[in-house]
Amino acid sequence: MRGPWPAVAFFAAAALAPLVVRDAFLLDGLVLILLWGTTGAAWNLAGGYAGQVSLGHAAFFGLGAYAAAILGTRWGISPWIGLLVGAALATAFGFILGFLSNRLRGPYFGLATIALSQVLLIVASRWRAFTSGSEGIPVPFRPGFWTLGIVDKRVWVYVILVLAAVLYVVQLYLERSRRGYQLAAVREDEDAALSLGVPARRLKVAAIAVSAALTAVCGTLWTQYVGFVDPLYVFSVDLSVRFCLFAILGGIGTPLGPFVGAALITILETSLRARFGGIGAGLVGIYLIIYGTALIVTMRVAPQGLLPWVGALLRRRPDPRPTG
Amino acid sequence: MSLLSVAGVTKRFGGVTANRDISFEVAPGELVGIIGPNGSGKSTLFEIISGFYRADTGLVRLDGSPLTGLSPDRVCRLGVARTFQKLRPFAGLTVVDNVMVGALTRTHDVRHARARARELLDRVGLGEKADAHARTLSTGQRKRLELARALATEPRVLLLDEVTGGVDQRSIPGLVQLVRDLHRGGLTLLVIEHNMRVITAVAQRIVALYLGEKIADGAPDVVTRDPRVVDAYLGQAYTQ
Repeated sequence: MRGPWPAVAFFAAAALAPLVVRDAFLLDGLVLILLWGTTGAAWNLAGGYAGQVSLGHAAFFGLGAYAAAILGTRWGISPWIGLLVGAALATAFGFILGFLSNRLRGPYFGLATIALSQVLLIVASRWRAFTSGSEGIPVPFRPGFWTLGIVDKRVWVYVILVLAAVLYVVQLYLERSRRGYQLAAVREDEDAALSLGVPARRLKVAAIAVSAALTAVCGTLWTQYVGFVDPLYVFSVDLSVRFCLFAILGGIGTPLGPFVGAALITILETSLRARFGGIGAGLVGIYLIIYGTALIVTMRVAPQGLLPWVGALLRRRPDPRPTG
Repeated sequence: MSLLSVAGVTKRFGGVTANRDISFEVAPGELVGIIGPNGSGKSTLFEIISGFYRADTGLVRLDGSPLTGLSPDRVCRLGVARTFQKLRPFAGLTVVDNVMVGALTRTHDVRHARARARELLDRVGLGEKADAHARTLSTGQRKRLELARALATEPRVLLLDEVTGGVDQRSIPGLVQLVRDLHRGGLTLLVIEHNMRVITAVAQRIVALYLGEKIADGAPDVVTRDPRVVDAYLGQAYTQ
């Protein structure tokens, strides 16, 4: 799956869909696919490209969500400002996390990120005076683009699509640039990278901070789209795991992978819930079992992720066209 | 004037003194060998020079400016490159990408770095493997890859840790020739080596360590006949 064509096809399909699709349910699905794909891509910057596998990225997502929700409900400040504040906060937390965990490698970094998200979960659910505690904050709907009060889901598709494209390009940069090669070296073997003059620590911290900021932006947009934020969801480990799952399933460290992963998971989950959700009392959870089994089978068949797997299949078949 | 100078370096790990007051100089263009039995402190010394360990006391200087206390990446950028005894290729990257990482320390241009990497791969005899994944290489090829990668950072001094260690007998002459060519090209090298035939053939000077201390420093034929070296390491006088 080399070359830009799969990505061009994916983004073109997403851009054209609102022109033909009118069904609100499908458009809602598209918005979520793009948003989750973008979040997965933001995670991928640290987890995929820099090898800093975070299991606590919900922390940054939640910071973005809460920054906009609190600023908006308390002081009537535009969510666009909230988006920037959330990104700044997440950058700061990303830097702190990066510096503190600089010597931690492998699973220990993952554990440190979980700890961060859990601390924020406790703060958000206990600091009732400021965050409304575990009840969460409903985001009031104020029509207009400046207030992100948008009814038309087609507009949402394009708003998120712009962010998705930005994330895709950032990932492409990390694949082809000097910094990208250096980060790949850090991911493969930090000591060897250091011995070749790569400023490994600085690059890791930078990757985590950028990843955190962009994850926060996704959090803001998600909250504004859904209209509600509560700590038990946005700071949950479950959500953090989802972000990595998008990237790992689609192809970790590939620019399109997180989008493909998000599309598959969102479609699979939604359709299974629709099909089996209303089934008889004894089988209420059956869709989760099917969902889990499907994930296990996929990762068994394509441990590198689906995009690299499909790419390898295509390469194995001789190309009838002359090359060069 | 020496290019690399090690002055009074001491390093302790708990109660163990891995390096005790070690001093020696390496002149520009010189190839100096370091020998000594296992545990004599050779690798610790390399880790200190390359910035991975911090010496408790003592100073390492490159061309007069101190390296002690700098991080490994800065030491490399100042001009000291190293290979690892336990090889550490970037297994998931292609061979040419491995070398590019080194080249990108000296250039910001990715295309230029790739061209430079291919050049170096040709030079170490890995040109045909450029697009293979590093994990598919044999041990001998990995040694060559580490060499190319380190050379790509354009070092003024190259530290080689066991070039021939773990390599099958047939690959040794080629690797030795490679080191010799680099030296002949004007590169300054500090080489840890267990194979006495190899080290006496390539080194202009040998430093012998034993239990963390320097016990001899001089021309190969003098050091290999030194009674302390013979007692500590060789068992009997080494003659070619």
